[in-house]
Amino acid sequence: MKKFFIPILIVFLLLTSMSFGSTKLVFTVHWADYQLDGIKDKEGNIVVKGLKQYVEEYMKTHPDVEIEVRSVAFDELLKKIIIDHTGGLPSDVYGLYSLWGVELVKSGILDEPPKDIQNAVRLLFVKPAVDGATINGRIWGVPTEIDNYALVYNKKLLAEAGFKKPPQKWVDLVNIASKLTKKNPDGSIAQYGFAFLAGWDSAVVHPYLALLYSNGGEFLSKDFKECLLDRKEAIEALDAELELFRKGATNTAASVYNFPNGTVAMMIMAPWYETDLKLGFKDKYQETVGVAPIPYLKKPATCGYTWFIGVDSASKNKKQAWDFIRWMTIQTMSNGATRMGELMAKNIGAIPPSRVNLDKFPNELNDLYTQTFVRELIHTIQEPNVAQGQEIKTALMREIVEAWNGRKTAEQALKDAKKKIDEILMENY
Amino acid sequence: MRKSLENRTGAGYSFLAPAIIFYLVFFLFPVAFSFLTSFKRWNMLTPFINAPFIGFKNFLDLLRDDLFIMALRNTLFYAILTVSITLVLALFYAVMINKARFSVLWRFIYFAPVVTPQVAIATIWGYLYNPNSGLLNAILRAIGLKGLNWLTDPNVALFSVILTAVWAGLGGSMLIFTASLNNIPQEYYDAANLDGATGFKEFWNITLPLLKPTLLFLSATGLISAWQVFDLPYMLGRNAPAKSVITVSWYTYEIAFQDLKMGKASAGAFLLFIAIFIITLIVLRLFGKEGIEGYE
Amino acid sequence: MNRDRKKLFWETFRYAVIIFGAIWMILPFFWLFSASLMTPQELLAFPPKILPSHPQWQNYKEVVKRIPILLHYKNSLIVSLSVTISVLLTSSLSGYSFAKLKFPGEEVFFRFVLSTMMFPVFIFLIPVYYLMRLFGWLNNYLSLITPFIVSGYGIFLIRQFILTIPDELLDSARIDGASEIIIYFKIILPLLRPALATLAILTFIGQWNSFLWPLIITTSAPQLTTLPVGISRLSLAFATTETQHLILAALVLQVIPTAILFLFLQRYYIKGFVLSGFSEI
Repeated sequence: MKKFFIPILIVFLLLTSMSFGSTKLVFTVHWADYQLDGIKDKEGNIVVKGLKQYVEEYMKTHPDVEIEVRSVAFDELLKKIIIDHTGGLPSDVYGLYSLWGVELVKSGILDEPPKDIQNAVRLLFVKPAVDGATINGRIWGVPTEIDNYALVYNKKLLAEAGFKKPPQKWVDLVNIASKLTKKNPDGSIAQYGFAFLAGWDSAVVHPYLALLYSNGGEFLSKDFKECLLDRKEAIEALDAELELFRKGATNTAASVYNFPNGTVAMMIMAPWYETDLKLGFKDKYQETVGVAPIPYLKKPATCGYTWFIGVDSASKNKKQAWDFIRWMTIQTMSNGATRMGELMAKNIGAIPPSRVNLDKFPNELNDLYTQTFVRELIHTIQEPNVAQGQEIKTALMREIVEAWNGRKTAEQALKDAKKKIDEILMENY
Repeated sequence: MRKSLENRTGAGYSFLAPAIIFYLVFFLFPVAFSFLTSFKRWNMLTPFINAPFIGFKNFLDLLRDDLFIMALRNTLFYAILTVSITLVLALFYAVMINKARFSVLWRFIYFAPVVTPQVAIATIWGYLYNPNSGLLNAILRAIGLKGLNWLTDPNVALFSVILTAVWAGLGGSMLIFTASLNNIPQEYYDAANLDGATGFKEFWNITLPLLKPTLLFLSATGLISAWQVFDLPYMLGRNAPAKSVITVSWYTYEIAFQDLKMGKASAGAFLLFIAIFIITLIVLRLFGKEGIEGYE
Repeated sequence: MNRDRKKLFWETFRYAVIIFGAIWMILPFFWLFSASLMTPQELLAFPPKILPSHPQWQNYKEVVKRIPILLHYKNSLIVSLSVTISVLLTSSLSGYSFAKLKFPGEEVFFRFVLSTMMFPVFIFLIPVYYLMRLFGWLNNYLSLITPFIVSGYGIFLIRQFILTIPDELLDSARIDGASEIIIYFKIILPLLRPALATLAILTFIGQWNSFLWPLIITTSAPQLTTLPVGISRLSLAFATTETQHLILAALVLQVIPTAILFLFLQRYYIKGFVLSGFSEI
């Protein structure tokens, strides 16, 4: 034994000295100030934790790890990631929109998660979120946020016109919307029966995809080699939207941002609009706002999109990064929820995609607004994680907007969209 | 005399030295880099060296893209209208205000849009253009006209952007006109008045010719920056059909940072440069036989 | 009598036209300030409110609590002032050179300077970022300042102004033996006051309100964060109604220093300041 004592001591010392080096992780997200710093009361005490509080907690229990949180506005985040990369200074951990993830994986920028995390994602997260984190058949990160769309309607306006329940089928929606549209003396619309979300690619494309899926249609072929929007189901889905325009129930000047002031009766909306509605309707919120599944064409369906957290393949601290991610998103706290889930539900106001979290936050997830979105998760189909996803969606958005403006028929618009999208797909698959 | 000529060359170059060094570093390198990029396919995530050369494909793709052609058309339209309207109004108001009382106050008010950040301008005008609750439609309705869908109607959207741009840029041009107006010696006006020329005659025969260098400057720089316009159309025009309102800078920016096609975007930037170059050349010719050197 | 009536008419016309324009110019500005004192609900109101029912001065307090505004002011000030001074210097030197000093290659180089203005900004983003990293300036004010220390616009502006200065003035000084540097400092600069004031205010505003480049640099170097980038941290992705009132208040805070600078520089626009000594010729 004595012979081995010194070598063992040396090895022991070497091992312990290696773990003494402190690691620095850079974590880049797109959240606002209070989402990072926490929500405080008048005295400055933390009422709802922000990301930084969780990070501090982790650093206390892992003193050799230092985590720096950086935040860039959503519009700028992808650009920031790219420029950091070309400048040779990437972050270690990212909060990514799944379509960005596709581009990063294509270029080998993301690190493949450890097997245990991949398995955990497959088992513990809802299907659309798992699909969102899956690129080319493999899982590349842990989903942190899942969003989908539902019909948000003004109960009062509907009741005034005699409708006690929201429409279940699309044809009923068109009917109710036309009856709820009121005009000004000069012909412009004073009250809209319906308003479409617009202004960026997801806004226009996601609700359309919801209708497409509801009509039994497909966006792209399974191997991503072809765009399938020239098929009958796709054209019918767009025509369903155009019915609202044809019946005068909406037009391109309609804005969902007028819903909180009571001049829009119905809209297709996502979970992130809750605070605006509460602010707009104040104490009339409960009696005015209603949420229902999107009225379907053939079967209930809605479209979803996902955010996931991933690690850069050029990071020098991949193991520590994944350890932090595991602690934040997979490990549960004493109350059975994950920390990321708590941050999402209580602070960010989004739907945490891990099943264990869905019943832990009744105030946030089972309330008037969010509960329908959560219930609709089973009908949610994740948008396809296709390469050049945003370019494809923008091309589709432009054609849909042309159709909305009456400058193209549904068939022509989708034909043109398919042509452009097929070109893009050909470059990549 | 020869001695002073030599002196001036030395001084000429040494005065320009900082500019020369700056342009070598911060201009020639980036432009060369981008020029090279325009012949490659590069998504900025893989190393630049590995990006494949694809010849003129980026340029051809853009010239065949009807959206890019529309962007050129929109940008041209925007540039000509914005610059001409802004210059006429700026000169008009500069002259009006220069001899008025409280000129400092008026100049401050007219300059207010220039100090305002673009995001505030877009927010403010977003409200003004609101079809139902906006001030502009309220005024139209008050005089018996129908309200317009300022930001969503494809026939109107670009004009709305132009209107906001004129509003935002007027004060800056006005300020430069003011500085030039005050540069004209009073003696010229005194002499002319003695000959009986006042008011409009005075303006046409003395003021305007002496403002030529300024007009040249404002037209050239106005067009150059109008051609590159990005913020206002992007922030105001999101809800109109793209074809009717997209500008070249907006489109190339999107190609770079959304489609991740930096090669194609760089090609677009060079095509834009060519367009600006040609237009500026035309304008400079209009202002004098010798172009920029001629200002008499 | 007729002449007086005519004069009165034109004077009334003058003021009517000025005031009409002024209303349009100031209206949105006024709304910005008014809206910054509203509550989020009031901002959503329909029909929209022009004045807040109770001015929410605490919006400003809230902004100061949530973002380190003094730090942002300091950073913005350092960057904007440095760039402005540098641009004034380089533009006047180069502008004088192009306007009055004849030397071989002058025309070509001036056209080159003009053409540098014709390239869209995003071409420069990545290469200049590379350069900043190469020089090791990424955590330094230098990365925010150096890409802007020379301005083609400034050179062009000053050149046009200097062109209006009579050659005789300069030649008589040269005959007296003055070197170009002396001429530059003693004759040119004083005559350039309104032009320099104009260039100063426009450059300062351009830097003060600049968003894209500071965003790229300061997100990896948060201690350098300038005001517009700091303010953007208050906004949420899509539904920013929650913080809109704070953003508006922050924007007012952003506007005030440039407005003050403008007022301060107005003294250089008074006629007569410019050409003192001119009549001696």
